[in-house]
Amino acid sequence: MKGSLRSRLTSSLFVLPYFLCFCVFLLYPLISGIILSLQNNDMLGTHEFVGLQNYVDIFTPGTYIHDAFFRGLWGTVKFVVYSVPFLILVGLALALLVNSLNARVRGVFRTIFFIPYAISATVMATIWMRVFDTDSGFLNLMLDKLHIHHQQHIGWFTDTPWVWIALVVSTIWWTIGFNMMLFINGLNEVPEELYEAAKLDGANAWNRLTRITLPSIKNVTAVVMVMTIIASFNVFAQPNLMTRGGPGFETTVMLMNVFDVAYGQHQGGAASAMAILLGLIMMIVSAAVYRLLFRKEA
Amino acid sequence: MGTKAKQAGLILIATVLGIFFIVPVIWMVTISLKSDAEAFLPNLSFIPDDPTIVNYTDALSGGDLNVPILRWIYNSLLVSVAGTLIVLAVDALAAYGLARLDVPFKKWLLSLFLSTLMIPGIIWFVPQYVLFQDLGLIGTYHAFYLPFTSSAFGVFLLYQFFRGFPKELEEAAHIDGANKWKIFYAVLLPSSKSILSTLAVLTFMGIFNDYIWPFYASGGNDTMQTLTSGIAVMTQGSYVNSPNKLMALSTIATIPVLVVFLLAQKAIVRGITQSGIK
Repeated sequence: MKGSLRSRLTSSLFVLPYFLCFCVFLLYPLISGIILSLQNNDMLGTHEFVGLQNYVDIFTPGTYIHDAFFRGLWGTVKFVVYSVPFLILVGLALALLVNSLNARVRGVFRTIFFIPYAISATVMATIWMRVFDTDSGFLNLMLDKLHIHHQQHIGWFTDTPWVWIALVVSTIWWTIGFNMMLFINGLNEVPEELYEAAKLDGANAWNRLTRITLPSIKNVTAVVMVMTIIASFNVFAQPNLMTRGGPGFETTVMLMNVFDVAYGQHQGGAASAMAILLGLIMMIVSAAVYRLLFRKEA
Repeated sequence: MGTKAKQAGLILIATVLGIFFIVPVIWMVTISLKSDAEAFLPNLSFIPDDPTIVNYTDALSGGDLNVPILRWIYNSLLVSVAGTLIVLAVDALAAYGLARLDVPFKKWLLSLFLSTLMIPGIIWFVPQYVLFQDLGLIGTYHAFYLPFTSSAFGVFLLYQFFRGFPKELEEAAHIDGANKWKIFYAVLLPSSKSILSTLAVLTFMGIFNDYIWPFYASGGNDTMQTLTSGIAVMTQGSYVNSPNKLMALSTIATIPVLVVFLLAQKAIVRGITQSGIK
């Protein structure tokens, strides 16, 4: 149904405020980011057009930008590989656990597992820095009590592989509630009849999980996986606040380097080029994962 | 194995896991109640020898921390509340227009908005900063909340809801002579309280908890930090040696979101479900 010109005009007024916000604060920065990546821009007001030079620099070994990009990418990819499997599996396990609890206690545990999700990145980091502190951290004191690693404290933020364990554990604590919630939603949509039929056929718990539950929540799993991969590619707060990229450049992730190049090195153009390449990698990886998961079963 | 024994086993597992999730939060509160002397001693006790609220009074009065914490609290609440109200207003209007009215290029606009949900935000972070710099808004309150108004998430969430809203109510109001605006605020909004509160909670938490954008948008001005970005700066500075003060601040920074979160848990779950993830 098409209204009169006047009607369409008044209707447009409803969309106009958001449209303006969208254009000014999102669409314009998106387009100007592409232009920025073709500039030398010191973030202080001066800029010149340099064509694809920033992209060339990224792929030229020996330049600052090259090291920043590939070190950052390597750190980020490691975090993605170490964290994503746990974030998915633990999220699913918690959802299955919560759903198999009595209705009386179910809500309580769901809330408890979900609480850290409400905590800000800075508070999360402040807490976990005290837990993982080498000399007076909660964890090492606890290990002392149990006479494990008593002579030499574990450097949770200063030694590999401990630093990755510390980052992955704190990330699980902080974000797993969200994945759990998505899985719980998915599990609640599985028709009860499927389980009853399986029970009649004598299927045990493991068979019910692998033959009914997992195939039924395939779509949710795909979405959780893509969202988790994107979130892990965006990792920043945990290494930035807790390990500061160390030891060495081990946990220096891409976003830290994008901000360093932009605000530390005053090279806004190069930072934009790095961000765009990272964005493209993220979109390609998530599209590939999504396709892979859907093709398998389709 | 009987169902009762099995249930007890499951509750036991859940309790052990629950301890992992809850202990760090309790640890934060414990340290915040310790005196300087005790906070320096490495010990595992969950009950401070000599509990004190001096870290809180210090934090709130400025004390020897030398940072304007009351101002940060004010900044955080101001930009989170203002941002949330603007996002609600702007998104609700747009979602209603797109879901129900004869807006030209409606489908085209909707896909343009939604496609940005799939583009990683880092791509526009730096150019957005340059934009605010050009506008001379770095270091002002406008820089803190304006970027949040551009997110398509809320439009999408409300659009989904409005599309499923029964048309009969609107038609009845239309016959009674109500115009679009009146239908929007007298019929649609009152019936959308739950989904609006969902968006409000998620937006409030998002703005209040964000620290990267305010960190840069403050322009390095101490009085223009938010509570979250301010604590981030402090964890990197000399305050790392005052864990009790940092924990008091962290507790203060957590209370507003935790209250909102616990009160509105249902709304958050609804948001997750209704954003179409199934």
